[in-house]
Amino acid sequence: MNNQFSTKQIPTWCPGCGNYLFLASIKKALNELKLDPKNVVVTYDIGCAANMVNNLNVCGFATLHGRSIPVAVGVKMANPKLTVIAQGGEGGIVTEGGNHLIHAAQRNDDITVIINNNYVFALTTGQTSAATPKGIKTRSTPEGNPHEPLCPLDIVAASGATFLARTLATDLEKTTQIIKEAIKHKGFSLVEIIQPCIIWLKDYKEETKDRVYLTKPFKDPKEIIGKENLLGILYQKD
Amino acid sequence: MQAGETFSKALNKLGFYTLVYPEYPSQIRGGDNNIQIVFSSESVGAPQEKIDLFLAFNEICLNNHKNEVKKEGLIFDYEKLGIKVEQELVKNNAALGFLWKTLGFDLTVLKKQLKEDFKNNQKILELNLKAVGMGYGKGEVAPLRPERSRGTSLGARREIINLTGNEALVRGILAAKAEFASIYPMTPINAVLAFLAKEKKVTIFRPEDEIAGIMAAIGASYAGKRAMVATSGGGFSLMVEGLGMAGMAEIPLVIVLGQRTGPSTGMATYSSQADLNFAINAGQGEFPRIVLTPGDLPELYRLGAEVFNLAEIYQVPVILMTDKYLAESRFSELEKNFKEVKLKPSQPPFALRASSFAQATEDKSEGRSEYRRYKITPSGISSRAFPGQTTFLTNSYEHDEFGFSTDDAMMRKKMMDKRMRKLQDIDKEDKGYERYGDKGKITLVSWGSTKGILLDFIKENPEYNLVHFWRPWPFPMEVKKVLEKSKRVICVEGNYSGQMADMIELKTGLRVQRILKDDGRPFFKEELEARIKNKEYE
Repeated sequence: MNNQFSTKQIPTWCPGCGNYLFLASIKKALNELKLDPKNVVVTYDIGCAANMVNNLNVCGFATLHGRSIPVAVGVKMANPKLTVIAQGGEGGIVTEGGNHLIHAAQRNDDITVIINNNYVFALTTGQTSAATPKGIKTRSTPEGNPHEPLCPLDIVAASGATFLARTLATDLEKTTQIIKEAIKHKGFSLVEIIQPCIIWLKDYKEETKDRVYLTKPFKDPKEIIGKENLLGILYQKD
Repeated sequence: MQAGETFSKALNKLGFYTLVYPEYPSQIRGGDNNIQIVFSSESVGAPQEKIDLFLAFNEICLNNHKNEVKKEGLIFDYEKLGIKVEQELVKNNAALGFLWKTLGFDLTVLKKQLKEDFKNNQKILELNLKAVGMGYGKGEVAPLRPERSRGTSLGARREIINLTGNEALVRGILAAKAEFASIYPMTPINAVLAFLAKEKKVTIFRPEDEIAGIMAAIGASYAGKRAMVATSGGGFSLMVEGLGMAGMAEIPLVIVLGQRTGPSTGMATYSSQADLNFAINAGQGEFPRIVLTPGDLPELYRLGAEVFNLAEIYQVPVILMTDKYLAESRFSELEKNFKEVKLKPSQPPFALRASSFAQATEDKSEGRSEYRRYKITPSGISSRAFPGQTTFLTNSYEHDEFGFSTDDAMMRKKMMDKRMRKLQDIDKEDKGYERYGDKGKITLVSWGSTKGILLDFIKENPEYNLVHFWRPWPFPMEVKKVLEKSKRVICVEGNYSGQMADMIELKTGLRVQRILKDDGRPFFKEELEARIKNKEYE
């Protein structure tokens, strides 16, 4: 794609990975919003999804595992004119950095957080993350994951976030639109991108999930809790 | 604590130098809260083991400290003084009135100080003025002070400045025009947060944990602000991953590290100098950093400002260490000495912002930035740009000149060389230590808070001199020439193993003897004299 948000670096993801489509969506979203790349800061986590750092022409900052949110918070406080996005997988943002996710939502920090949820620690060769579904066999749970998964949107809904959305990485058009709305939103916005790992999650069946696009966001953020099949903008406070 | 401030400032008005050393437990009401006030016509650099005049408000304090009173000293139990006050809250000042009379001072001076302390609340002021009068009335002059200084004042009017270490440090920080501070509360740096929070020009972030604290400060610095964190050892433990990231990504960052007694939760409200090795070595891998260890009010002020310049010039994390004793004790200094402190002009942010902006835009071609954030230069220092000026990459991974991640062996070597090169000439800028006393053949060594105590000692014992490290890292190699000439080198430090002594031995090959203390308390004057004279270092 000829886009001012592209770099000449070649992504390092596995062939068929959801990250390719997500990268296309976010470039498209930034372009359609007519943002100037130099006014966009993306703080990246560490992990597969966050390796996008080399592929997006903005002010990018590869931070540490779990820490993309607090760096983004500091950037936004220092210069509120910037568009600030924190991006990473659920391993970094939910498992390692859950404390930051909760508190940024509580403070309603004016940043956009994008969680590329592949349900597993992938770059470390397939161990359970907090979001891995129960029963799934991974290299850290050879007999199946004994725990119920943690749903990032549920935590954030209970913490004070003012924009909550979920989308499938494979749906380029809807993902692009949702990212645009999240960036435009004033206050803390969270977009969960569903993109099950194609390498380390052989047991997982996305097609059994019965996903439904919500046509109208809920009025109360707590109504989204426990409804993991819902897609679209689930809650937005005016 | 307020009582110590009032009393010492009133003494300053009489021309005395003062030192107020507080001890308190990790609890808010009750317990053994005590302050020691030392005053003298000469400057005071050390708390003392033995006291002349002791007033206790409760039995715990009385029992804990009565043995510290000199044989000829006086002990008073507040409850038995028969002072009647209108409110419990003014008891402290009633006691001050009593002590003021016992020492034979003029009540109007103490009242004048109270008027300054409570100038914003007439009602409270009245209550307190009444209370000191009540206390003063119950006292009797005792012959505690040497005869020659028993007058009501020293006569010579001196302008004495009276500050806690934290206050002096904050003055430096504000002089440097710091713009962003993220601070998770922790003894002994809570006052830094409280003072900075009153400043409109400083953005304050009370983060969810120290990890977020250092990350947000890095984010703010990256976005162009002069940014800092402040913490103690426990918080710094959490910050270590951020310290390394600032080193790798070359983000200027100021870290105030107020030491307290560890390990772990340790003795949360007591002092220590045991984190020097930790500050110098924290973090995986190797990266350049600077460690500063101011030892008194003028140095806290000077380095509190200079720390921001160092961080910005070299684009490294700089750790400024204090400790509970230095941070929370109240010291005095001739105002003249304070005013003479020369602050280097604030580097950037403005100058640097403008120059990098020019460079960044010049390098632009075909709408894509050619700006190299990590350009390899002879000094190792690359010009910075900020978000909003151009696109660029900042990276905690090893990276090339543009900031793109790389595992390439050649590039790795070049980038390590570049980063480590940044501090190679720092000794040419400033030598990192100071020598005091010309005649002494035996050298005592201090870093941080032991400076004041040792300066007091060498004044009375001119056969000793003092080498004080205010920048132990990068280790100032020049110091070897000074230490080589000494008959003996004795390091006095507040830790169990002698961390600075080890460092000097490692770097210079010289033998360093040591006098150590690790019980949460600073060195006391008589204690230190005895330990040096008994040659405990041998």
